[in-house]
Amino acid sequence: MANEDVQKMLAELSKDLLESKARLEEAQRVAHVGHWEWDLETNVVVWSDETYRIFGLNPQEHPMDLATVRSMVHPEDREPLYQGVDQDLVAGERPNAEFRIVRPSGEVRTVSSLTSERWSSLPGDTKRDASGRPYKLFGTIQDITERKRAEEALKQSQFYLSEGQRLAHMGSWAFNDSGHYWSEELYRIYGLDPQNGAPTVEQYLALIHPQDRASMAETINRMQEEHCGFDQIERIIRPDGQLRYVRAVAVPVVEQGVFKGFIGTTMDVTEQELLTQELRREQAYLAEAQSLTHTGSWACNLLTREIFHSSDENARLYGFDPSQGAIPFDRFYNAILAEDEVALRARLENAIREGADYDVGFRIRRTDGALRFLRGIGHHNPSQEIGEYVGITMDITERKRAEEEREKLRQLEADLAHINRVNMMGELAAALAHEIRQPIAASVTSANACLRWLARDPPDLERARAAAARIEQDGNRAADVISRLRSFYKKGTPPEREMVDIKEIVREMAALLRKEAVQHSIKIHSELDENVPNVLADRVQLQQVFMNLMLNAIEAMKDTGGKLTISSRSTPQGQVTVSIGDTGVGLPAENTERIFDAFHTTKPQGTGMGLAITRSIVEAHGGRVWGTANQDAGATFHFTLPAKAEADA
Amino acid sequence: MKSAAVPTVFIIDDDRGMRQAIHDLVESVGLRAESFATGEAFLGTRHTGRPSCLVLDVRLPQMSGLDFQRQLAETGMQIPIIFVTAHGDIPMSVRALKSGAVEFLTKPFRDQDLLDAIQQALGRDRIAQERQAEIHDLQERYHALTAREREVMTLVVSGKLNKQIASEIGASEATVKVHRGHVMQKMQAGSVVDLVRMADKLKLPPRK
Repeated sequence: MANEDVQKMLAELSKDLLESKARLEEAQRVAHVGHWEWDLETNVVVWSDETYRIFGLNPQEHPMDLATVRSMVHPEDREPLYQGVDQDLVAGERPNAEFRIVRPSGEVRTVSSLTSERWSSLPGDTKRDASGRPYKLFGTIQDITERKRAEEALKQSQFYLSEGQRLAHMGSWAFNDSGHYWSEELYRIYGLDPQNGAPTVEQYLALIHPQDRASMAETINRMQEEHCGFDQIERIIRPDGQLRYVRAVAVPVVEQGVFKGFIGTTMDVTEQELLTQELRREQAYLAEAQSLTHTGSWACNLLTREIFHSSDENARLYGFDPSQGAIPFDRFYNAILAEDEVALRARLENAIREGADYDVGFRIRRTDGALRFLRGIGHHNPSQEIGEYVGITMDITERKRAEEEREKLRQLEADLAHINRVNMMGELAAALAHEIRQPIAASVTSANACLRWLARDPPDLERARAAAARIEQDGNRAADVISRLRSFYKKGTPPEREMVDIKEIVREMAALLRKEAVQHSIKIHSELDENVPNVLADRVQLQQVFMNLMLNAIEAMKDTGGKLTISSRSTPQGQVTVSIGDTGVGLPAENTERIFDAFHTTKPQGTGMGLAITRSIVEAHGGRVWGTANQDAGATFHFTLPAKAEADA
Repeated sequence: MKSAAVPTVFIIDDDRGMRQAIHDLVESVGLRAESFATGEAFLGTRHTGRPSCLVLDVRLPQMSGLDFQRQLAETGMQIPIIFVTAHGDIPMSVRALKSGAVEFLTKPFRDQDLLDAIQQALGRDRIAQERQAEIHDLQERYHALTAREREVMTLVVSGKLNKQIASEIGASEATVKVHRGHVMQKMQAGSVVDLVRMADKLKLPPRK
């Protein structure tokens, strides 16, 4: 071979070599893999460029020595690494290791170092000492930081998943050509041993509660034939006998239009299910109680007219069908009777403004046309949101009707008592008549006898005188009966005089008779002079006077309605004058004075005692009573009472 | 003044004034009066045979005048009654009058009304007493008859002939004639018609 050829061949070889080295360098750079050589005898280390880069060093600037390498190993990994290498070398094994390094920038990287099987970088260079230990090591170093991180992240997420499954009592599974996979938690849910692997369909069905088994078998069948998913709750009986509720969800997996199998989750929902059942039961009890008591519950904002809650019974009270879904606020509101709406609105607005609770009664026209009485109790929501209330609505129609019945009954009783009183008065009058008639008849007869004794010839004066004496006796006897009656009447109620405020009595009586007045569409109106002095009077008797005159006024207007006016004023003579006027039928045209007489009455059921008693009481107090006809309509009764100074007289 | 012929007016009234007044009024017209506060007090006295009547207050403390009237009738005491009352009503007066009361007066009454009623009552009582006296006389005559004569009398008043009577009592016709003669004589009867009227007054049971 010519020298030129040799030169040429060498030049080509050298070029090949350089190219090959460049490719190697490029390959190492792309793969983050570098190589190294370690002369165990000289402790000289040779690194490829990539190895320098892995260590974060510039290949030109850093000729490498072992001490530098050692110093760059992460302090925590340093000792174990070198001990491991020594042990491997002593044992004649290839030292491979994963460890962390710290770059000059402070960055920590994880690297994997592998030692070549050939131990040395050069072919044939297998120099060893007596113990077979090589003098040189050759290996690669790879930056596996990214892979390590990915592994860590995967491990972490797997841990989270299984932990999550455990915490949520949720297991997952997959079913495809490559087999049947169950997660750890799924085994726990079914009480099965993971060692035995996932159960077959038959084994699985055996775990299902007998009552749910047929439907589950049907579901699995359909799932396999039609490749459709499901979501259902079923009962299982674990091998230890425990009954659990599980919710199973399955979805088919389809890749590029091809069915691949199923994945799914199964969750132990026993606690939730029992809670739900309990809740449903409670709700059923509540609904039953609401329906039995005709009480509906609700929560809403009365200001914004938003309803947050309305029980079924609440809807039914208004005649709405709860199954039709939410009912707008206005439909409830529009059911309220127009007559009651204004007052109700005022009450509610007042309550809303003050953030106060309320308790109102009102009437509604139900959708079926029935008129019902409702009672609404609203409790201002503790959330303090303006207008927000929770409350109940009660149907109190029956109670109202019962009350009305009772009221009618009470009225009837009052009427009966009145008739009884009339009868009693009649009997009293009859007894009185007999008591007085007896002495009068005796004296009339004695007078007749007396006349006959005198008419004799000669007149028997002795007998005539005796008869006359008896006439006197019987006359006195008749007078006694009358005075006995009077003293009895007087003894009956010894007057208890005290300072009485007329305004107060008027208020009491007006309150007492308001119901009666409202029933007959009568307005009670009072014009009381604030400066009227108190009077010394028997309070109960004075109440009776007011009661009699006001009842008379109501009686006079009961068919027509009207206005009852009570006024009081003081006179210059130091008296108090009270007037009670009505706009009713007025006074009889004749016998105007007789209306105060006992037993004089113009009413079918009257005793004729009301005005007589009134007069007797007023006169006993040193006053006077009289009646006048009003100019336009009705009558006015007036009475005077002396102010306190005169009352003592 | 008092004599056996003077009729007596009994007065029962619990009211002393009234009782005395009526008593006095009765005496002022020359009649005899006896007054009592109660019905029991009246029943406790012995009544003479002279004509009398009773002025009775409807309202008495123990029993009503109407009940007393019934009690009197039950004991067989026949005395005309005039009721007086301080508070009579129509049903009460109707009941009293139906039970035989002479009059029903309401207090105070006109004196003449009471005196007229008393006269009417006494007249009624006088007739009743005469009838009673006649019956008493007849009873004495009847008691004088022998048993056989009473038997014959009964048969005569029931219209039997002597022959029938004889066969019925088992005696001869002549014997019957003798008995019949005694009966007519003892009973002081002028004819068979007389004898029949007497038997009627004596309320003898008719023989079948």
